[in-house]
Amino acid sequence: MKVNVDGVELELPAGTSAIDAVFEAGGDVPYFCAHKYLSPVGACRMCLVESGSPRKEKDGSFVMDDATGQPKIFWFPKPMASCTMQATDGMHIKTARSSEVVAKAQAGMMEFTLLNHPLDCPTCDKGGACELQDRAFEYGYGASRFGFDRRHADKHYPLSDFVILDQERCIHCKRCVRYFEEVPGQEVLDFIERGGHTFIDTEEGGLPTGFQGNITDICPVGALLDNVARFRGRNWEYDHTPTTCTLCPVGCSITVDARNGRLERIVARENREVNEAWICDAGRFGHAFASERRLTVPLVRVNGELQETSWDGAIAAIRAGMAGRNAADLALYLNADSTLEEGVALEALADAMGTRHVDHWPRYEVALDAMPNGAATLSDVATADAVVVVGADLGEEAPILELRILEMLRGGLLPPEYTHGTAIADLRLVERPARDPQKLAVVGKESRLWGHAGIRASSNGHNALERLSQPDTAELQAALKLLTDSEKAIIVLGADVLNGASGSFAAQLSDLATRTGAKVMAIPAGANSKGLAALNLVPREGGLPYARVAEAPAAFISRLDPGVRARGLTIVHDSHLTATARLADVVLPAVTGYEKRGTTVNLEGRLLELEQAALSAGEAADLIRTLSAVSEALGLRAPVRGLKGARDLAAQRLGIKLGGLPERGVIHPLRTAHVAPTEQVYTPQLWTERMQPSIQTLIPANLQPLPMLGAAPVGGDD
Amino acid sequence: MSYFADKQPLVADIFSRYPDSPQGRRSALMPLLREVQDAEGFVNGSRMDEIAALCGTTATEVRSVMSFYSTYHTLPTGRYHLQVCSTVMCSLAGSDELWDHLVAELDVQSGEVSADGRFSVQKVECLGSCGTAPLMQINDDGYYENVTPGKCARILASLRADLQPLPDNPVPVTVNAEGRQVLASGEAVGASVTGLSQLPAISGGEA
Repeated sequence: MKVNVDGVELELPAGTSAIDAVFEAGGDVPYFCAHKYLSPVGACRMCLVESGSPRKEKDGSFVMDDATGQPKIFWFPKPMASCTMQATDGMHIKTARSSEVVAKAQAGMMEFTLLNHPLDCPTCDKGGACELQDRAFEYGYGASRFGFDRRHADKHYPLSDFVILDQERCIHCKRCVRYFEEVPGQEVLDFIERGGHTFIDTEEGGLPTGFQGNITDICPVGALLDNVARFRGRNWEYDHTPTTCTLCPVGCSITVDARNGRLERIVARENREVNEAWICDAGRFGHAFASERRLTVPLVRVNGELQETSWDGAIAAIRAGMAGRNAADLALYLNADSTLEEGVALEALADAMGTRHVDHWPRYEVALDAMPNGAATLSDVATADAVVVVGADLGEEAPILELRILEMLRGGLLPPEYTHGTAIADLRLVERPARDPQKLAVVGKESRLWGHAGIRASSNGHNALERLSQPDTAELQAALKLLTDSEKAIIVLGADVLNGASGSFAAQLSDLATRTGAKVMAIPAGANSKGLAALNLVPREGGLPYARVAEAPAAFISRLDPGVRARGLTIVHDSHLTATARLADVVLPAVTGYEKRGTTVNLEGRLLELEQAALSAGEAADLIRTLSAVSEALGLRAPVRGLKGARDLAAQRLGIKLGGLPERGVIHPLRTAHVAPTEQVYTPQLWTERMQPSIQTLIPANLQPLPMLGAAPVGGDD
Repeated sequence: MSYFADKQPLVADIFSRYPDSPQGRRSALMPLLREVQDAEGFVNGSRMDEIAALCGTTATEVRSVMSFYSTYHTLPTGRYHLQVCSTVMCSLAGSDELWDHLVAELDVQSGEVSADGRFSVQKVECLGSCGTAPLMQINDDGYYENVTPGKCARILASLRADLQPLPDNPVPVTVNAEGRQVLASGEAVGASVTGLSQLPAISGGEA
């Protein structure tokens, strides 16, 4: 259809909203309440435009304008909110650029919005990244006619431990309310009272854990603030590093904000294919460890005590510790969230040393690459017509996958994409979307997803797949029927079934997938398990798996914490002084996942890039540099000495060119090279002890609370 | 102590008026709130939770809907809830003085109940009877119009004796099944398309 914006003729797909038409034409309208992944409501009335359409006579011909010979445009009598208006064929839209009326309406609306907005800009954390500030500057009158004292309300009302609400600053755009209703499907936040007294509150005694932090991202003003990052810095003081989160295998796009070398804040970045615009609470708030109690220098054990030393000292200590031993005695263990480049470097060194004891953890013992119907992507999950989750607690394993499944339940509508990005207002999204729980079956133990599932079957992990293939209960029959009856079904497998899955498991699963036509998404154990599995990082013939690290003659343990030491020399490479590091002979400081450059592979098999945030980590080194130090101590020439070398080697080994990947990553099928017994069970746990932020409460502990009346809610006019 | 546990027929009746879908069940919020409010004079937190459970929604949602309307109370009200119109017409006709008088006379502020449990007061927005300002509504019974100091004293005296005077203008109930509005007495008010009498034929024109 043809749309004319400010005199610019556009050809747009039907169903486009007027706001997207304006942005597509290179124009601009201010908006606060519209959001790419939420339903348009027209709450803030900032995106006013003048619009008009041609009309047809009864015979189908256009009513013509005698003066111009063109179809006559019938203008709406008043400005319209463009976010809730669908552009129609032949529509003319005027923005503030070409219409005095719109400019005045927007300035007036801005004045109205600012009526009770406190002038906290010098102290408000949002200053510098505040949509209201920017839009007031661009579209406001530039002066205020209101010289009165503004409405006063609670300025630090804790909605939960992580989110603080400043009720005065709220401009009632309703983004957070809609977010909770539409995205995690938890209606825990709503407007209370009405008119000028309206504020946001919850009656549920706090916000649900999991995905609450996203409301601090989408709040257009400083009303909802991330309590972990509050009063830590301003937007322009942070060094923003776009990178990928490595806490779980989803690989969400994040921006790491550091200031003065401290990691102060993590915010979500948009990646339409992976996390849309949302991240989980662990990924957002669980970054305390990156700047607290870090190891900054190597430590060596002298007379039974760990003492600080230089890298040269540490290399000398390794050399002394390995004296009289063969390099092949040194076992190499690394964490499965290490990058692909680090994995390549370790594999190459292991081959050079000839050691049999190589392992990465966490991992499973089964390879599920060669599934019929291809691998499932997260967008496949969101647009599927049935999902069966088997033996997974997504809240611990892959939280964002849970959101994509909920997206599937409410219709799986992915907002279209224009040259200006994702559609700002997708008119197909509605408030309070009807969810169809019958499209979701959960087999396994109880988890957060149970509440959303129409079909729930309790089962133990070890035989869940078998029971799903040959159902013995009504629920399992329903789940299997759901798979068979739907066109685009997805089977999601989690830790409960993948732990201890043996050789026949893959054949069983492949058989089920063939029978039902479903795609399979197995959640890997570690953040980069899928990438590291493509390398030979498992115990060789006669080698010791990570579970038996205590039996190794000597061990190099990178960012893992088994809590035991090897028989001989124990080298621990970690960012913190863990229990294992306290037992070690040599401790080498490591960098966290926020300070690495490299590539990680998420659960879809998508290659995503990590960037290095500007955090102060002293002499900490990534695994590639650390391994070259270790090989120097062993008298070997390290096969890989840096990122570039690792990428060259990866190109030879895996046939993929790493580096310079597109922002959304790229799907590259990787085959699992080797599987080996793990000899231990992996229990996924998203939040670990060291991730807990130390949130300072606003009330000092020694302050006695004042005696108050009962907790009766205070009514408005009552 | 649940309110609706022993009122299953009533609950079933309320839900029968709405579609049997999640959205439809949520619509029953208002009559359920009204039910509790009429019985107890206010809706407390545990009742909100109960209604939320019945409607399949959250207490937040219930409070949001409830707090939107000034006629639902989160705080206890007295046996006679005096609602004084305080919008501009009534205030020009002396409703501010009426309010001050009531507050002083009954020793209650908004949100409070007098010691004997009889009285609570509330300022409300325009009740739409500006021609008879100042105006006061007691409970849902009707309008007491032209409330002069003398009339106010008479009303309060009768209320203290628990003899509520008849309102000057009873509030019409909502539209009934026949599409008609009737007074509390059963007398029909207003008009309806179904009750129109046949107009006499216009003479002089062509038949």
